[in-house]
Amino acid sequence: MPPAEPLAAVPTDAALIAAWHGGDEPAAAELVRRHARALARFLAGAGALEADVDDLVQETFIRAFRALGRFRGQCQFRTWLMTIGGNVLKDAHRRSRRAHVVPLGDDLRDTDGDPHEQAVADEAEQRLAVGLEGLTRLQREVFLLRAQQGLEYEEIAAALGTTSGAARVHYHHAVKRLKEHMK
Amino acid sequence: MNDDATVHDAKLREVARRLGARAAERLDVERTAQAVVGRLRTDPRAEVRVLGWIRPGWLRIAALLVMVVGAGVVAVNVRIPGVMPPVQSATAAGELSELSGDELREVLESVAQLGGEQQAVSAQDVGLDELSASQLRALLESLGG
Repeated sequence: MPPAEPLAAVPTDAALIAAWHGGDEPAAAELVRRHARALARFLAGAGALEADVDDLVQETFIRAFRALGRFRGQCQFRTWLMTIGGNVLKDAHRRSRRAHVVPLGDDLRDTDGDPHEQAVADEAEQRLAVGLEGLTRLQREVFLLRAQQGLEYEEIAAALGTTSGAARVHYHHAVKRLKEHMK
Repeated sequence: MNDDATVHDAKLREVARRLGARAAERLDVERTAQAVVGRLRTDPRAEVRVLGWIRPGWLRIAALLVMVVGAGVVAVNVRIPGVMPPVQSATAAGELSELSGDELREVLESVAQLGGEQQAVSAQDVGLDELSASQLRALLESLGG
């Protein structure tokens, strides 16, 4: 008798989405657990203040769950979530009209490791964050989805409603401008 | 792309990957998950938004229907004025011609009691209710042969 195949212990995003549609609240909570940190990184990279990230992540999930009926699986759920996060962040910036990036306070700095190396790393991040602010929204999102999240151009294009060629062009323009800024 | 550029790209990607890592680490994922589920459970805006999303579509369809029906009514009104009056008078004439001699006399007498000016008006120009008594009498006499 052949050995029984192991059961799929981890449900896919699609299965969780279907379960949520059926009124399964724990499925929604699991989707949040699965994608919240990646979304937080994306939002912070796109210019969200660290103090606002929690609220922005929540708001993004709320909007996403309400709009799930319009999600056709054209890209991964996480990628789609990030495009919604981009809209949430844009709306938040419009409301607050405040600077996207502020220098980190000492209390927020990571004190582990070599202080000099940490300072250099922090400075590079700050320069990149400021450089990202100078990009168009599309360039910034394509760059983050590609360089930060490691997505393929086809996936990025599907999420942003453009072609993979256009996504590639946006990425290269972004990299060119960021390199000039980081010099 | 030369090696220097490749190294530079790799460094850029490395910094990009670190970007936001601290914010992600600080996020209390479990608390966020419970907060999201709690808001989804209690906030009724979801239904409002769904309706708000649907309503414009129905409104557009309704507006289109109104325009189509309105255009149809206008088209019918433009056509009918040249056609309807003869049909109406012919119908009225047909009804009156079906009356017996006695019935016609009764109508004439009742009209005579109303009195009024005599005017030469074509039956095609006005409806029967707009005729004066003398005009109606003249019309009935002509129909009676």
